[in-house]
Amino acid sequence: MPMGHTATAEAGSGGLTATEHRLANGLRVVLSEDHLTPVAAVCLWYDVGSRHEVEGRTGLAHLFEHLMFQGSKQVHGNGHFELVQGAGGSLNGTTSFERTNYFETMPTHQLELALWLEADRMGSLLAALDDESMENQRDVVKNERRQRYDNVPYGTAFERLTALAYPEGHPYHHTPIGSMADLDAATLEDARNFFRTYYAPNNAVLSVVGDIDPEETLAWVEKYFGSIPAHDGKPAPRDGALPDVIGGELREVLVEEVPARALMAAYRLPEDGTRACDAIDLALTVLGGGESSRLHNRLVRRDRTAVTAGFGLLRLAGAPSLGWLDVKTSGGVEVPAIEAAVDEELARFAAEGPTAEEMERAQAQLEREWLDRLGTVAGRADELCRYAVLFGDPQLALTAVDRVLDVTAEEVREAAAARLRPDNRAVLVYEPAAPAGSEDGADGAEGDDEEGADQ
Amino acid sequence: MTDTAEPLTSMDFHPQPKAGTARPWAFPAPERGTLGNGLTVLRCHRPGQQVVAVEIFVDAPLEAEPAGLDGVATIMARALSEGTTERGAEEFAAELERCGATLDAHADHPGVRVSLEVPVSRLRKALGLVAEALISPAFAEDEVKRLVSNRLDEIPHESANPARRAAKQLSKELFAEGTRMSRPRQGTEETVEAIDAAAVRAFYDAHVRPAAATAVVVGDLTGVDLDEVLAETLGAWTGAPAAPRPMPPVTADDSGRVVIVDRPGAVQTQLLIGRVGPDRHDAVWAAQALGSYCLGGTLTSRLDRVLREEKGYTYGVRSYAQVLRSDGAGHGASLLAISGSVDTPNTGPALDDLWKVLRTLAAEGLTDAERDVAVQNLVGVAPLRYETAASVAGTLADQVEQHLPDDYQARLYARLAETGTVEATAAVVSAFPVDRLVTVLVGDAAQIEEPVRALGIGPVTVVS
Repeated sequence: MPMGHTATAEAGSGGLTATEHRLANGLRVVLSEDHLTPVAAVCLWYDVGSRHEVEGRTGLAHLFEHLMFQGSKQVHGNGHFELVQGAGGSLNGTTSFERTNYFETMPTHQLELALWLEADRMGSLLAALDDESMENQRDVVKNERRQRYDNVPYGTAFERLTALAYPEGHPYHHTPIGSMADLDAATLEDARNFFRTYYAPNNAVLSVVGDIDPEETLAWVEKYFGSIPAHDGKPAPRDGALPDVIGGELREVLVEEVPARALMAAYRLPEDGTRACDAIDLALTVLGGGESSRLHNRLVRRDRTAVTAGFGLLRLAGAPSLGWLDVKTSGGVEVPAIEAAVDEELARFAAEGPTAEEMERAQAQLEREWLDRLGTVAGRADELCRYAVLFGDPQLALTAVDRVLDVTAEEVREAAAARLRPDNRAVLVYEPAAPAGSEDGADGAEGDDEEGADQ
Repeated sequence: MTDTAEPLTSMDFHPQPKAGTARPWAFPAPERGTLGNGLTVLRCHRPGQQVVAVEIFVDAPLEAEPAGLDGVATIMARALSEGTTERGAEEFAAELERCGATLDAHADHPGVRVSLEVPVSRLRKALGLVAEALISPAFAEDEVKRLVSNRLDEIPHESANPARRAAKQLSKELFAEGTRMSRPRQGTEETVEAIDAAAVRAFYDAHVRPAAATAVVVGDLTGVDLDEVLAETLGAWTGAPAAPRPMPPVTADDSGRVVIVDRPGAVQTQLLIGRVGPDRHDAVWAAQALGSYCLGGTLTSRLDRVLREEKGYTYGVRSYAQVLRSDGAGHGASLLAISGSVDTPNTGPALDDLWKVLRTLAAEGLTDAERDVAVQNLVGVAPLRYETAASVAGTLADQVEQHLPDDYQARLYARLAETGTVEATAAVVSAFPVDRLVTVLVGDAAQIEEPVRALGIGPVTVVS
């Protein structure tokens, strides 16, 4: 039976509110009303991602996500897609390290259909799951892997950096796409067990956002999801905790057919949900976000040694977050020249911190990103689920921007000084294999600490 | 194997719910006006959209680039945000980002587009910077030099990307040699190298002026005196009146053939199958959009139903029409295309199936059920597709760029709803006739050439 409380509008949330409810079977429900546009977003986060996978079955969570679109007891074949699209909705699902999400954005008057569809597969996927869909989606996912990673230059960089930055045996050592060998090895029984273990109402959060009547919506949720039995057999994921810093640089040099040399690196950073994570987000924005960042100004504008230079942040809650440096070199420029400049900028930043103007810029950029995220019903539904699943409190989504704006320049400097250090990174260097000629064995002196340069 | 012993389902099932009553929604109608300097302005208030989108279109088409200087429009567009007479490049970028804004400027066949997104609280300041860029760009020698060498560095990255490489090859194949459309939009190594600050300045002087431009402003404008904001910013832009530029007709050779761009060792083949079709002024557009959705709009469309969901050859293949340029006088053209990638060993079988899908479509036509789902999707997703200010501004600016009336998109939805199965079938079949398609395959020629030849879908050539 639904129970809930009403939240008041939080400062800085643009007047957005959300209410929380829980069904008797443990399904958490978050509702947020907004009648500006006649649309409603349904978002369902299952608390399962690639970190829950076991050795030899990497990629299973993502492959399984595909199988969720192959029909359930009352939905035949591709019916989930057909019904949503035929109702004027859009839909998809994605898998990350920490969760799997499914979402439909519907015209208001078709909201009930999306709830019915999600409930049907949550409760009865195994009634439809068969070998044919398993074999077909295995091939589709292998082609997804080829298209997005294997057949594009630098396509496997993220996978390699992850493998370097999170040690062997760590739940985040492999990425959600998985390996070809493991995708081949997955069986129908693996998929069934995965469903039985993780796809339960008490392991999920459902958010519904937009042009909704909360009472009616909650009644529909109770009607369709209420009878799905809870299930408690979920094993805890392996512990993702690691020391704050790596303690020594890790390095891999790849000689591959790429159009230019590249310097990439993964820094071990504070976990999502902490003030230090917001501080490092601001640091990375000042250093490597947009066209006015320190690295862009230094490498692209002044030294003219790079085509692009920037930082990205992958926020993670169950393990250290990952800061991703990506520099593609210009013309014949060698990697050591880039690396020296990057180190110099990072060291200077760690010593001096951001200027007041840089802080203002970085905070303005992150604020706009949040406005963008919360500006659509689908984005808001996803963020509400994120904070509910990873941090136990969806209301945190509505105040996230305030927390970023509250960080001080000194905190940004401290976070950078503690984390953006050469001994806290895994480095990936690309050297073009093309017959371009002159310099090839330049990586001889680099040495590789851990993974070794596999091919 | 316990699945027979274990109950697969223990929940209560309910019949599929029926739809409620639809709430009306209409594509927003902009208010159109002209500033004293000749700048056309379209404005549109979208409650709740705190991030305002501004799209500025300048009638400076690629075919206006001087001979041998392909890419000068691109470099000029990029140089607009690389410093003004009042501030240098770094300061300009910093000030803009301090507003929490993003600014993008690029050149395409119809002209130059400048796109700004900024929280409404900082609209005035950000638009002031954009105006400064348009009114008094510095085009400093050294900055242009840097942009040229940066552009030269980008080219190998584009050639290494299978989708970009395929697009470049298709343009070369499809359009008559010597026409601007046959050549890369952002120039080649040879032409980009020839660009300097003087060439950029000359292109700017010849084409960039308020009378040849339109600004589209969309967002929650509550409490914003937009007239005043515009007067203080883009209103200060001056320039000579502009005569409309006649558009050269687009001619294309779509005789059926296959070109393989060899990428030894590629694990997938990138497909791009295309020809040239009508623009949005043609009455067939709505029917063609419907038919094309049924053919390859989503993973339940005909192509993916076979290539992905039955055979597993691909992560997805799509068909679409993309307007290249349009003048409202019958000279416009769009690229009609089918694209996706398939694994190398299945390249032959995948193309064989793709052609079978096209032949079956031509022989048997679409079903009413397919047509109904397509209409419901294309019309039904409109309110979600246009939830953000940026998406509304983008479509309004596209309409301006294509010389379409401001209510085009709104009327398109009405036309889609009226279009029948027979009409949609005719349109998609004539859009993708099996013997008039140019097929570009970026893949491992040693593995795919023979199987592709065996299909008999046209003469095959291999390039590197």
